[in-house]
Amino acid sequence: MGRVVRIAFATEKGGLDDRLADRFGRAPTFTIVDVDLDTGEVKGVKVVQNPGYTAGSGAGVKAAETVANEGAVLYAGPNPGPNAYAALQHLGVKIYTVTGVTVREALQRILEEVKSGTIQL
Amino acid sequence: MPQVPGLVELVVASGKGGVGKSTLTASLAVVFAEKGLRFVAADADAEAPNLHILLGVDEWSREEPYYEGRVAYIRDDLCLGPKCGVCMKVCPYGAVEERDGRLWINPWICEGCITCSAACPVKAIRYRFRVQAGWIRVAERTRYGFPLVSAEIVPGRPNSGKLVTEVKNLAKSMLGGSGVLLVDAAAGIGCQVISSLTGAQLAILVAEPTPASLSDLKRIHRLTKHFGIAPMLVVNRYDINPDVLPELEEYAERENIPVIGRIPYDENVPRAAAAGKPIIVYEPGSPASRAIRGIAEKVATEILPRWREWWAKYRPEKPEPYIPVIIRPERR
Repeated sequence: MGRVVRIAFATEKGGLDDRLADRFGRAPTFTIVDVDLDTGEVKGVKVVQNPGYTAGSGAGVKAAETVANEGAVLYAGPNPGPNAYAALQHLGVKIYTVTGVTVREALQRILEEVKSGTIQL
Repeated sequence: MPQVPGLVELVVASGKGGVGKSTLTASLAVVFAEKGLRFVAADADAEAPNLHILLGVDEWSREEPYYEGRVAYIRDDLCLGPKCGVCMKVCPYGAVEERDGRLWINPWICEGCITCSAACPVKAIRYRFRVQAGWIRVAERTRYGFPLVSAEIVPGRPNSGKLVTEVKNLAKSMLGGSGVLLVDAAAGIGCQVISSLTGAQLAILVAEPTPASLSDLKRIHRLTKHFGIAPMLVVNRYDINPDVLPELEEYAERENIPVIGRIPYDENVPRAAAAGKPIIVYEPGSPASRAIRGIAEKVATEILPRWREWWAKYRPEKPEPYIPVIIRPERR
């Protein structure tokens, strides 16, 4: 058994088979996935509401806080806006840009990139 | 008829105002409609919407109020009255007033910041959510045969970025997963422009050969790089300033931004705007119209049907983060 990490995906309704949302700050939900980096086994999935979705202003920063407070070490989805990007960086959450696929497919890509060493978690 | 695979967002932006975004968008839309392209036009300049004026829309199919934000009010049955007055002391905006021996929060001044309710010793302050902050308007079919969605924000209300998000979501639901979302963005690089660019694949950047426009072009271009968008450049009024034109075009070449058209200065353009018509309809044979038609045909028949290739070719290899400010939220 390998190391388990937590990854946050920007999603619409949420869940492993949901498609990734097309925006970060005002994505409706985040799907939080615990995954074993060696076996690729999914250890846990939960869906959290993104307070940025309904926020008038500061949506990206609220979303970044949510992702960080969930304990995610990596965010995967569309590129966050400038403020959100800075917030994620300061909160120590890595950013993986991916769009147009499901959470499951994005997770596969991440695991492959971890294996090949192009991303370190 | 050009077929566009999937759903693509094409944003017209410029950084600087008044360089011809809406003029170009209106005429692009007319040509797209002529070619039978499936698309929805969205006016994402919520602070100064005017695409509908250029398109001669005088009647909307539907108009929905847009609610956002909150304002505080005082419950008289709980309030200790002016002898307490804590809320009046702490309000950073001076929104709490004494009226007829009672405390009252002026909703026009209140920013909904919750300072007063945090300080109130008897928890007499409540909030009214869903304050009308603007409108979303839909014309199912403009006189040129395509749908237009438009946003308008009430002056002084924040949150135009969220309104733009809603406008884009509405336009996308009208397209139902296939076609082109043609977005006319606001000037600047602020909240609503960021919201216009988020999720887009292609952007037409409009610039004129002036130092100010070039400077703002560089700023909006950095934002497109941030979002991994493939930009293309239209030089408007390219002949007004031969001194700066080379600098503008060198920038585009250096940054791998294809120049998809050059529009000459043309007195017919302001006349068309005054007449409430897209230039391409008002004076189809004018120099500006001919140039715009060339651009529109290139976009409709060469770029949009193969937008994925175009996107892959001209977007930055990796998104280049644009981080203008340092903010340090607390990790709990």
